[in-house]
Amino acid sequence: MLEYAEPVTKLIDELKRLPGIGHKSAQRLAFHIMRTPENELDRLLTAVRDVKQRIVLCSVCNNLTEIDPCRICASTSRDHSVICVVEEPHSMVAVEKTRSFKGVYHVLHGSLSPMRHIGPNELHLANLLPRLKPENNDGVEVSEVILATNPTTEGEATANYIGRLLKPLGLLVTRIAMGMPVGSDLEYVDEVTMDKALSNRREI
Amino acid sequence: MILDFVEVDNFRNLSGKIFWGPGLNIIHGDNGQGKTNWLEAIHLLSRTKSFRTQRLQETIRFGQDSAFVAGRVSSGDDLQRDLRVTLKENTKSIAVNGKREQLTRYLGQLQVFSFTADQLDVVRGMPEARRHFIDRGVASLRPAYVRTVSDYNRVIKQKNRILQDNLEHNRSLVELQDLLAPWNQQLVQLAAEIHEARVDYTERLNNELERSLFEPAELHIRYSSSLDGKGDLSNYEGLLNERLQLRLPAEAAAGRALLGPHRDDLAVHLAGRELRVFGSSGQQRSALLLLDLAAISVYNSWHDDRPLFLVDDVDAELDENRIRRLLEYLEGRTQTFITTSKRSHVEGFISRANVYEIAAGQAVQPELNRSTFSAVAAND
Repeated sequence: MLEYAEPVTKLIDELKRLPGIGHKSAQRLAFHIMRTPENELDRLLTAVRDVKQRIVLCSVCNNLTEIDPCRICASTSRDHSVICVVEEPHSMVAVEKTRSFKGVYHVLHGSLSPMRHIGPNELHLANLLPRLKPENNDGVEVSEVILATNPTTEGEATANYIGRLLKPLGLLVTRIAMGMPVGSDLEYVDEVTMDKALSNRREI
Repeated sequence: MILDFVEVDNFRNLSGKIFWGPGLNIIHGDNGQGKTNWLEAIHLLSRTKSFRTQRLQETIRFGQDSAFVAGRVSSGDDLQRDLRVTLKENTKSIAVNGKREQLTRYLGQLQVFSFTADQLDVVRGMPEARRHFIDRGVASLRPAYVRTVSDYNRVIKQKNRILQDNLEHNRSLVELQDLLAPWNQQLVQLAAEIHEARVDYTERLNNELERSLFEPAELHIRYSSSLDGKGDLSNYEGLLNERLQLRLPAEAAAGRALLGPHRDDLAVHLAGRELRVFGSSGQQRSALLLLDLAAISVYNSWHDDRPLFLVDDVDAELDENRIRRLLEYLEGRTQTFITTSKRSHVEGFISRANVYEIAAGQAVQPELNRSTFSAVAAND
């Protein structure tokens, strides 16, 4: 039995496929769309279509980009001897926001998770090893790879996997530190973070 | 810490407020009147979970759409906090002093140890229940330990999936080892943490155990690692790594993870014999009580604070003699809540305890009904 006219049901069903959208949200979005004037809707439709047509993955680092290679990979002011490996494009944005990292990136588009059938072959890893050779990197020798995957069991396994892959090559492989958020009061840090911060303490 | 009062609305068949005594609280009533519901309410207030059901919706009184359990906890000299758990359809909200609070910050405000029917698996059931018992104990000392265990379980799940899928793919052992390596690396670290924490906790329990509170036969416990007898356990990480290498073909053939603390157990012996197999029901119950009492002592010496102790159905399988020893032991140590349907079993303690008569979920306050008590006693 159809709750609404067929086109409406169809729209709700399609919206429900989006991550984080359940039946109620889909219904609300569908009704919003129906009430939206057509010219406004066109803007949305164009934006959706453009993102598919104009965005590609950077052939060097797998970042989302309009031009290939991406701005960061093409930049001469970046340090191409340091590569920061991240899970998702938005993790890269988080590192970029610090403005203190001057190296380049490698985006994996995921992390190892056998339960979700994501093995090493499903990650965008194939183009990482070739980048490490100077002849494929504008003559620059890569000196360090920073593993900035998430502090989850999956992120950790991914870092372990890449670490094992790179260690024999003799370059410096580092893992980002875990611990206290800066600028917060000790009181407000959860026990797990505090525990990690304590065991990763350093001498001053 | 002391629970001063509990106020309940529409939680199962309960509504109303009970002021508790700081020592022994005896909840008495016929079957089906709601004695255990009061313990469940206290447990919910402490852990935001029930010991009877996973589905908290079931605890909302039929026909109502929400329920709450609130209470005041006193600790230190003059510190009082009002806790409140509100259940509405399938959501749960928690508050301290009227303000919403995150779960991680809420837990621990009211620490409860409970002796309930679902805990009997610790002395009767499979090793899993005993591992849970130790893990809960460790977490009562160090809450961050919960994360270690959940990370470990997740790593095991991921590893199991690789091994399961491999049963169909039949990769070479070298290939399989490559796939497993990033998970085994974490497994070893987390396993070592868990092993160390559990051994340490078992040691603490052993030091506090009142071995022969109930009977002359002594109760002994020992953490029994699945790596016992396989090598030097003092270098746990090294040994586990070695065993993982060695047993790779076995894990490949079995299609699941065979090594790690998820295969460990707590050995519980009474008079030198395995309690789970040879103990009588009464002996098993008594042993579980001893383990609970030890866990309370360990908590007490770690935090310098007394948790609450809930004992459901104290008279089931425990004779009067054992109940008397238990209550004498608890007297002056920790705020205790026990339910019983047999008044005669606790008769000797009534003058030293607060006794609550429960009928149809409602409680009659001790101060208010002293005369009623003697009247009931006279009629008995």
